[in-house]
Amino acid sequence: MGVTIIQQFPMKENRTGAQIIEFLTKRVNALGAKQCGTFLVDCETYASIPQLGAQRTLHVFHNSEQPASVFAILDNGTGKTVPVVADALFDLLLLKMSSVYTSKKSKVEIRGPRFELNDFVIKIGAININHNVKGIIVEAEYRPCVVFGLCWDMLREFLQGFLGSCVSNIPPHYFQNRMNDIFQPLDTIQQYLDHITIYRKATGILQQYNTNTT
Amino acid sequence: MELNPMQVALNTVRTLRLELMQLIIEIGEGVKDDGSQTESKDNRYMYSMNEMVGKLGLHMRDLEQVVGSLSSPPGAMLLYNTSFLTQESTSDRQALYTPLVSSHKWLDKVHKFSSNAVQILSQNSLKKSYYNSSSNKKKRQQSSLHNISPQAVDVLLTNIDRMFPEMSITITRPCASNVVLLVGLSRVLQAIISFKGVMIEWVIVKGFNEPINPNSLQQELWQESRYYVFRKITDHANAAMLHFSSPTLPDLSVRSFMTWLNSYLILFNSVCKSCGNRLLNAYPPTWRDLRSLDTYHYECKP
Amino acid sequence: MEAIKEAPIPAMDSLTSAMKNNIVPNQEYLLQGSVLDSAVEVLLHRLRGLCDNVDSGPETFHDHEMCFSIRSVTPQPLTLRVRRAIDYLDMPYQLRYIGQPELGDKSRPTILRNSIDVATTPTIVDFLTEMGFRMDFEYILRGYMFRKGRMKITVSKIFKMMVVGKPAPESVDPISQSYLVELSVLAPSNQDAIAEDMRVFAEQLKPLVHLEKVDYKRLTQPPL
Repeated sequence: MGVTIIQQFPMKENRTGAQIIEFLTKRVNALGAKQCGTFLVDCETYASIPQLGAQRTLHVFHNSEQPASVFAILDNGTGKTVPVVADALFDLLLLKMSSVYTSKKSKVEIRGPRFELNDFVIKIGAININHNVKGIIVEAEYRPCVVFGLCWDMLREFLQGFLGSCVSNIPPHYFQNRMNDIFQPLDTIQQYLDHITIYRKATGILQQYNTNTT
Repeated sequence: MELNPMQVALNTVRTLRLELMQLIIEIGEGVKDDGSQTESKDNRYMYSMNEMVGKLGLHMRDLEQVVGSLSSPPGAMLLYNTSFLTQESTSDRQALYTPLVSSHKWLDKVHKFSSNAVQILSQNSLKKSYYNSSSNKKKRQQSSLHNISPQAVDVLLTNIDRMFPEMSITITRPCASNVVLLVGLSRVLQAIISFKGVMIEWVIVKGFNEPINPNSLQQELWQESRYYVFRKITDHANAAMLHFSSPTLPDLSVRSFMTWLNSYLILFNSVCKSCGNRLLNAYPPTWRDLRSLDTYHYECKP
Repeated sequence: MEAIKEAPIPAMDSLTSAMKNNIVPNQEYLLQGSVLDSAVEVLLHRLRGLCDNVDSGPETFHDHEMCFSIRSVTPQPLTLRVRRAIDYLDMPYQLRYIGQPELGDKSRPTILRNSIDVATTPTIVDFLTEMGFRMDFEYILRGYMFRKGRMKITVSKIFKMMVVGKPAPESVDPISQSYLVELSVLAPSNQDAIAEDMRVFAEQLKPLVHLEKVDYKRLTQPPL
């Protein structure tokens, strides 16, 4: 498990999600990257029933990179979040909790091709919220390094190399207090959650891109 | 007659033994009766006994004198690795000690010749690679490379450990007295270095998050890193090890190598001196200038 | 295309198909009993002879278990248990759901209950608390574990914790003068053959300990 950062790629006029993925695929292929399968990150969101008082939100993630794990992030409504990483059977347990935590019926899926270039792993995915494409997310992982602060500049240069100026020179907000921590798979998931939250708030704006997709 | 006092002493012991033996034989045979003599045979017997005992006393005194003049032998010789030969159980290998000693003698000779050759050659300015000539430095006589006490190696390595605060060194001796070193460099990399005496024989570099079993470093030595970047650095490390290797100043070569290795502290956050970029062909600058430790991509090296 | 063929299956889909194929271990067959402290040595001796891990000796364990519950609209609260090893701090925590035990009729040799076992990170305690769960009680379990094929046999002593959240040895108190003995197998559904094996094994432990189907409902009823 190396350091992973996640970057949004802006949607362009009159282009579908699939077209942008194809466009970016050509770019990473030109760098020498080879496609190695596809990837899938999904997120289901649950909300606590009103009887429990303050509404709490529970996000449950799966990542094809860690197929045996379930990542759950709880937001208690007052700004405190608690993450848990568990076995795949955690999903079964969630069904038992369906009387207290109900699904918000807004399933998020990020899927697309996965590439390898030496020690880098690149994933280009379309973010689907309830089967509507909302945007493009690019994930870059550098596997030999385990500390974000050590390789951020290099990852930034790598991303800028094929995404261009949409990559900011400032490290993602999520890492501001975690520059020198050992990177965990949960850190990837937290970043996905941050991006999903942004897209959920921006619903409606990108509707035009879905007209051409199936 | 200029005999070695040891030889004289041994001879005296031999004479003494011989005479004692004769005396005992004489006693064993008892009083002989040959009938030709009129003299009392008892008297004759007593006389010869007296003579023999007198001689014995005389030689005993000689021996004491000779032994007194002997100097006490030097203390036990340290055999280091060769002492393990005694543990060899196959009979055809038990005689290995003698050829081993002679081969060490030859090695020492070769060592002496080559250091002389280095001195002569270093005066010649036709150099193709920048070899760090040390002829003008204070000449130190390193006894030999292949027979160094484990304590001396330990001292050298712990000193190196103290030189680099970001480096943690674990000394293990999985096979006899030769060191296999596990080096951790901050949270960047790990290296396994195999030594022969104070000479580095093999290096392997792995990522910080690659599992290394510290109890079977011999096996780990053959398992290359799963990451491309560390496989490349392993190649560079073996090249650097050969470059720094110096038969005349082995401890300096180890120290230089470790200084070189320590420069990988900034592996992931350094810029290539030549092209100014961090990445080239998806590799960070993996090459280091061997003198200045400047960072370069392998393709950009001067 | 090659890539489409090896596309990852969504986790929920693979879990559903695993449930359909009956490969998820979600049921526990259970027999329980107890022995007095004075008799436990004899039982341990017998178990050592019967069980698989003979050469390594019995495995000891020292666990801290917390029981959490949450009330919803239904009268029956949802109960979850969190267990952690005190002697191995880097082990994952264990989160467990246990369903209502089914005693069945006389022909069924063991209790059968739903059980979902999940290994998690230590944040689970905080996680459940923030979710709205309340800790009902906690206790310490210390004892020995044996293995015989798929069966697990534990002989353990239960300790009360005098200080909340402090499992230190000086602040715990044994709950009784006896050891709890449990014989259990965690298995996927429809594997009733294992229950018969358990009955035979329990038979072999008699008369040192009587392992039987304990009826919890009867325990909670007031004596007549």
